[in-house]
Amino acid sequence: MRKGLSTVLTVAICCIAILGFIVYQKPPLYHSQSFVFGTLVDISIYGEPEERAKSLSNEILQDFQHLHHQLHAWKPVSENQVSELGALNLAFASQNKPLNISPLMIEVLQDATKLSKQSNGLFNPTIGHLIGTWGFQADEFAATSVDDKKISALVSANPSMDDIVVTNNSAYSTNSSVKLDLGGYAKGYALDRAVRYLRKQYVKHALINIGGNIIALGQHGDKPWRVGIQHPRKPSAIATLDLLDGWAIGTSGDYQRYFMLDGKRYCHIIDPRTGYPVQHTQAVTVLIPPQAPYHSQAGVLSDVASKPIFIEPAESKSKIATAMGINHFMVINQSSQVFVTKEMQNKLTWLDQDFKKHAYVQTTTQH
Amino acid sequence: MFKLLRNIKAITSAMLIGDWLIFVASSMLIIVLFQQLWSHEHATTVQIRLGDTVYGTYSLNQQRDIHVKGTIGNATISIMNGKARFAQSPCHNQYCVHQGWLSRSGQAAICLPNQLSLELVGETKHYDSLNY
Repeated sequence: MRKGLSTVLTVAICCIAILGFIVYQKPPLYHSQSFVFGTLVDISIYGEPEERAKSLSNEILQDFQHLHHQLHAWKPVSENQVSELGALNLAFASQNKPLNISPLMIEVLQDATKLSKQSNGLFNPTIGHLIGTWGFQADEFAATSVDDKKISALVSANPSMDDIVVTNNSAYSTNSSVKLDLGGYAKGYALDRAVRYLRKQYVKHALINIGGNIIALGQHGDKPWRVGIQHPRKPSAIATLDLLDGWAIGTSGDYQRYFMLDGKRYCHIIDPRTGYPVQHTQAVTVLIPPQAPYHSQAGVLSDVASKPIFIEPAESKSKIATAMGINHFMVINQSSQVFVTKEMQNKLTWLDQDFKKHAYVQTTTQH
Repeated sequence: MFKLLRNIKAITSAMLIGDWLIFVASSMLIIVLFQQLWSHEHATTVQIRLGDTVYGTYSLNQQRDIHVKGTIGNATISIMNGKARFAQSPCHNQYCVHQGWLSRSGQAAICLPNQLSLELVGETKHYDSLNY
């Protein structure tokens, strides 16, 4: 009997050991997808108990909803209440006295002004009237035949971030044609806030994707987070790369928001100098390392910095990238040729064999 | 046959509680290991091959019959609720039809006479999230 008992014990211990190993091995990855911010938000949290991960990601989603109400350019909060940005735009248009704004809005305006200057005005969030005229301030838009005269009038009104005067708790505009549209800023700003919140909550590993802009916190188990880069013309990824702790990635493309008119593609990225959608580029991807505190953060840069590079013609892309402090970027032009900086190429693992073979690797110009 | 049954009866009656414990624990272990190690990944698409070419790839998330003309005749492949199978085949042995429903990624059914095959493909992700 005693002999039998020891056998039982051995088997029991083996069972417990194996079960323990299985429980331990189970990857504690929490993944949620939701439609907030007018776009798809995808949150992965690694290494937290499911309940906690769930409540953390709900917290983030609520914050995004809150930001959405403050910063959305054309969607009102409710039927008879405009967003904070909407109210500000109304005040700018009617040249009213300075409007009181939230500390968050002040921070956003100051940061956006700095970035706009840095990009030679190519990142210009004040061209809301142009974007609206092209019909891109709507969830669903149709092919719009645009009045050339109206476009040139809007361009010559020359709205710019410099027209906005921010005092300690209010703002006004010296130019009534200024209409803020933070479509190229807000998603990145939201990413930075989410990461800041998660770090404060001592979360070590997370990956947040807002409408294609992604920021990484920590890593996925013992491997870095890995992201795929969308092919601008096919439903697949062209390459993958490891997104390290604190890094962010963003793409501006002509394939998400666009319409076709007479065989021509009109995308939502508009050159503020001409007032017309950019047609020479399919996609620009930028990869942003962690930034120093009190500077524009990685999330914001991943959203903003791809636009000026997208807008500039091929010969000026490197120069504007340097001005924006971007070393890692990739350009796919309208003939589907790929240009990639050496720094970026080192990070990429190509999936698309055509692009892999024909990518032009260039060294970034040093100034 | 009767003798064998009686043998089992004799053995079980001689078993002590420890023997039973071992028996139950081992069975449980086998079930748990089976669940863990057996592929859980549900397939998302089925790839149909004809001869040496891919005839087509279809989502498993639909209900439809696909008729394919193989080398010896017409075969029918059914897709339903995440599963796929050969529903009808002109071949002699009907091995392919007897394979039944396939639902896990990596599973395959092959009809050699008709040079037709099904293979279920899962969602193998190369990355955690997509930048677009």
